[in-house]
Amino acid sequence: MLRRALAWMATILAGALLGLGSGWLTLEAGRASFGEQIGAWSYNRAAGSDAAGPYTRAIIAREGLLALSAREARYYTLWKDDQGEPLRESCVYELAGRAIAARWWSVTLYADDSFLARNDDHAASIDASRVTIGADGAWRARVAPVRGDAAYWLSSRAARRDFSLTLRVYNPRDDFEATPDALPTLTRISCAGGDV
Amino acid sequence: MSGVGKYVLTAIVIALVAHFTFIFATPRVLMNVALERLSGGQYNAWHLGERVTAAARTIVRPSPDFAYSACSYDLNNGPLRLRAAPWDAYWSLSLYADNSDNYYVIDDREAHDGADIVLIRRGGEHPRDVARVVESPSQRGIALIRRLAPTPDAYAAAAQVSRGDVCAPFVPAPR
Repeated sequence: MLRRALAWMATILAGALLGLGSGWLTLEAGRASFGEQIGAWSYNRAAGSDAAGPYTRAIIAREGLLALSAREARYYTLWKDDQGEPLRESCVYELAGRAIAARWWSVTLYADDSFLARNDDHAASIDASRVTIGADGAWRARVAPVRGDAAYWLSSRAARRDFSLTLRVYNPRDDFEATPDALPTLTRISCAGGDV
Repeated sequence: MSGVGKYVLTAIVIALVAHFTFIFATPRVLMNVALERLSGGQYNAWHLGERVTAAARTIVRPSPDFAYSACSYDLNNGPLRLRAAPWDAYWSLSLYADNSDNYYVIDDREAHDGADIVLIRRGGEHPRDVARVVESPSQRGIALIRRLAPTPDAYAAAAQVSRGDVCAPFVPAPR
């Protein structure tokens, strides 16, 4: 009797674990299928897209709850530098870009926990309204824990290792095309204490 | 059926039920959490979020460049009037169903003078003499206004403008 009860309990547990596990794995695999790499930037079509079914809807909810539709905004995220290395607080980077064919854009730095870095530098973001494009048609910003002599600065102080940058492009124009040349590039300049 | 077969079959049935429950429940659970967090315990009223700073920990990857106003709505007691006061930079009003679908969005390119809509349940009777009626696929959902305000001064101005927003029961004009 006890043996049979244990067998049924094990059956129910195994079934539940199998179902929940396969659901989680399906969403993980689905997330990857929505991903697209544009140069160093990752673009996820799930955020703000129309749900076509329960699987798509679940992926969208996980990846971009309350995100805007692609008509309103596009979101691109950068996790690695030009050497393919994770972004680190101990390094200094230069972010450079050209005019983006959109009504407005911004780049925001997030710590490894996907929230703004816990510092009081008030330099978590730069945007089109505050950046002046130089005579060479480009703008440049420093990504570092201290500002130094940079005209534009994204503070990575307290962002630790594996921080990221998110580019938001609002009201992209019809001629906006997300190519590696159209999106900003991040170059590693140096790292402190031999941290390379 | 053999002794082992009934256990295997039962495990497969339970696995299928658990799988689809997980898939269908994920967006609703996440939206319920958002509904409660954004409502602050009060439905059908706008709540202006504080300016996003390093201390903000409510929703991941917040943008510090926007002033967000959210209204967790419930149409149980009838239609609602939603108004988004105009703003001199980018703004948009987005509506999300309780399964997370973004079923409506309007921005300043289409509505220079702000947006004024009446929100009803899908299939419900449209009120007369109302220019813009939107049908919500669910009884509950979230309305979200984003106003571009990348500086403290711009945020303060957006907060002032947001006082003209309306999320309240719809009262038909007297005939």
